[in-house]
Amino acid sequence: MAATDGGMNRESEKLEFSLVVPFPSPREASIALGSLSPDREPRKGGISKELTVTDRTLSVKWSADEARILRVSVNSFLDNLSLVLETMQMFGPPASQ
Amino acid sequence: MTIVIGFEGSANKIGIGIIKDGEVLSNPRRTYITPPGQGFMPSDTARHHRAVILTVLKEALEQAGLRPADIDCVAYTKGPGMGAPLVTVALVARTVAQLWGKPLLGVNHCIGHIEMGRLITQANNPTVLYVSGGNTQVIAYSERRYRIFGETIDIAVGNCLDRFARVIKISNDPSPGYNIEQMAKKGSQYVELPYTVKGMDVSFSGILSYIEEAAHKMLSSGQCSEEDLCFSLQETVFSMLVEITERAMAHCGSGEVLIVGGVGCNLRLQEMMGVMCKERNAKLFATDERFCIDNGAMIAQAGWEMFRSGQVTELEDSWITQRYRTDEVEVTWRD
Repeated sequence: MAATDGGMNRESEKLEFSLVVPFPSPREASIALGSLSPDREPRKGGISKELTVTDRTLSVKWSADEARILRVSVNSFLDNLSLVLETMQMFGPPASQ
Repeated sequence: MTIVIGFEGSANKIGIGIIKDGEVLSNPRRTYITPPGQGFMPSDTARHHRAVILTVLKEALEQAGLRPADIDCVAYTKGPGMGAPLVTVALVARTVAQLWGKPLLGVNHCIGHIEMGRLITQANNPTVLYVSGGNTQVIAYSERRYRIFGETIDIAVGNCLDRFARVIKISNDPSPGYNIEQMAKKGSQYVELPYTVKGMDVSFSGILSYIEEAAHKMLSSGQCSEEDLCFSLQETVFSMLVEITERAMAHCGSGEVLIVGGVGCNLRLQEMMGVMCKERNAKLFATDERFCIDNGAMIAQAGWEMFRSGQVTELEDSWITQRYRTDEVEVTWRD
């Protein structure tokens, strides 16, 4: 977490949420990352989200000021994730490159 | 030979179309229809799109008789439109583009309408009237941009019609505008409404407030019928649109008009525009509901033009945007 700059540690007052999604292969995990990353959070502040891929796992970390904002963001992410998963099921596996 | 698949879902229609060098191979579509008196909200519309998009994609491929490997480029609507539905459609486009190893291309929705209209009607360099539930613009091409000569300063003409339909509980099936058009044919008495052309621009919110306020009073007192109101509203707003289109033509010295967008399939609007065109010795081009109303092929067609002129959208730049003006796009495929 971010270091304190002499004053109060505001970072520690944030709500955090993390999600781990396993995929059949690293390629599919990276496709999901590519599909889910481009769109920014709609609101300007109050929430941040970080997506990373390690091997065949997609990890998402949220940090938010309020539970209400966090819930909306996590909910819509899960909707989006299941659509990506369904799309992979119906139109995958990835073509060989 | 270039084959492009196009994904559209910026409002309450979800459509996926495939274009092969100017030929529409498939263009299936679904519409989210709300009960009378209700509009469509972003999250409900996105839910509708999520539920059907993969079925529509399957249909598009099957009807075209193609395998994913046959496709050269995946085009999708980048904006303008409602955020949640746009994201839904972009997600599937991004995922299949990666699965199939094809380039991605973000398309401006308005440009999609214009290019589809040009393809279907073969209009060469028309003055374009783009009228739908979300947009009202008079557009002419000049030096690599579709330039906006006039537009609404508040709500779109289609939004005015849709919201009037809600006031008197006209059905949204197949669309409020279609039902207003049918009822207007039975109207006989013209009720005077505000006529709001401001230079090259138009305004519809005042007309809507006026008719919202007056409708129930006039109907309950028997002053006029619902059909009369439909008729009067259409005559008023369409006259305004014809007026600004004619002025844009005079400015540009243009001899062609192309009507695109969902309101563009209204035959009364086409008829009124036709009268103006005849007086000016100009030619009118319009398309039917298959291509006027939002559809996937129009995104594929604009995508085809963009792709052929060398454009692609990198994954990290493929974010959607609710605001995206027609004149922001550099037209790299026309002289």
